[in-house]
Amino acid sequence: MKRYDCLKILAAEINDALVVSSAGAMTLEWNSLHPGDGNFRVRTLGLCSSIALGMALGLPHRKVVALDGDGSLLMNLCSLPTIARMKPANLVHIVFDNEVYEASGSKKTATGAGTDLVGMACAAGIKNSQWAKTDDQFASAARAALRGSELCFIGAKVTTERTAVPPFPIDEVENKYRFMRYIEKSERIEIFKTNLPASYS
Amino acid sequence: MTAIDPIAAGAAIVAGLKKAGIDFVATLPDEKMLEVIRAVEADRQLKHVPLCREEEGIGICAGAYLAGKKTAIIMQNAGFLNSCNALTTTSLQLQIPILMLIYYAGDIGDRGFTTLGAVTEPVLQAMGFRSYVLRRPEEIDETLAGAQILADDSKKPVAVLLTKSVLGVK
Repeated sequence: MKRYDCLKILAAEINDALVVSSAGAMTLEWNSLHPGDGNFRVRTLGLCSSIALGMALGLPHRKVVALDGDGSLLMNLCSLPTIARMKPANLVHIVFDNEVYEASGSKKTATGAGTDLVGMACAAGIKNSQWAKTDDQFASAARAALRGSELCFIGAKVTTERTAVPPFPIDEVENKYRFMRYIEKSERIEIFKTNLPASYS
Repeated sequence: MTAIDPIAAGAAIVAGLKKAGIDFVATLPDEKMLEVIRAVEADRQLKHVPLCREEEGIGICAGAYLAGKKTAIIMQNAGFLNSCNALTTTSLQLQIPILMLIYYAGDIGDRGFTTLGAVTEPVLQAMGFRSYVLRRPEEIDETLAGAQILADDSKKPVAVLLTKSVLGVK
C-alpha cells in the first residue's frame, strides 16, 4: 500500500477527530490532505502515541487519532501496555509501517527484520488490533475505528514512497496555540486564563 | 520541623497538588513515594496514569495539557534523567508546562544513590528548569502552589524535589 492513499481514505472519514502525527513526511502528507487546527505535529520521535493517549484521556468524548510510524513506536514500545491499561475508548492508534527510519536516511527498522507491531499491540492487551493489507481493508478498519467506540490499533504496511507536498506551514509553538485555541472553541472551554497582576484588582 | 508519617505525607501532598489546580497525574512507583502514589490513585478528582517509563509520561502529560488539563508527574530522579529528551524536544520546545514531583534519591544523608543525587540538580539547572527542594511538611502547600504558578506562567516544566523528611520515610 501507499501511505498517501491510506491518508486520503482516512481524510474522507475523519470528521472532527483530533489528529496527532509523528514527526516526518507523513505529517506533511496528512496536513496537505486535511489541513486544520485539529492537527498536532509531534516533534519527539516516539511520543506520538503517548501524546495522543494523554489527549484522549483529557477529552474522553472526543475521537483522537494517532498517526504513528514503525521507527517511532519502536522507540516507545512501553506506550502499548500503558495504552492497553488505560483503555481509552476514543483512541485510534494507526501505525504506518514502512520498515525504515524514513526521516533519518531510510535505514531498516526492526520491523524490516520481522518484528510484528500488531502482534506486540495484541500481546500488550489491545484486543482490537489488526493489520490492514489492502486499501479496502484499511478503509473498512479505519471506518469501523472512527465510528465505533473501542480502543483500536491498526497496522498498515506501506511502501517507502513519498508524495511531494508543501512543507508544514507553521512552527511548533504556533501549532500548539492554534490547536489549543481550536480545543477551546470546539469544546467551549477556557484553557488560557488571563491572570492580572495583583495591582490591577 | 514537624515530623510526619508517610500516609499523612501522601495525603498532604495530594491535597497540595489539588489546591495548586492539578487534575491529571502520571506516576511511576518509588518505594519512598508509595503513600503519595496510593493517595493519587485513591483520589477520584485526579486522573491517574500509571506509567511503564517516565519519558512516556512527559508525552502523556503534554497531550493532556493540549486537551486543557493541569498536569503533574511523580517519579524518582532516575526517571527524570530517563525523560530528558522528551522534556527538551516536547516540553521546552513547544512551551508546555508540567509540574514534576521528583524523589531526591542520593540527597544529603541518603546511602546508595550518591551518583544519582550528585547529577540531579546540575541537570535540572542545565535544562533551565527552576527547582525547589521540599524538606518541611509545613511548606507543602505553598511550594506546590508556587511551583505550579511558575510552570503555568512560564509554560515550562518546574521541579519540586521531595526528600525523606517531607515524605515521612527513613
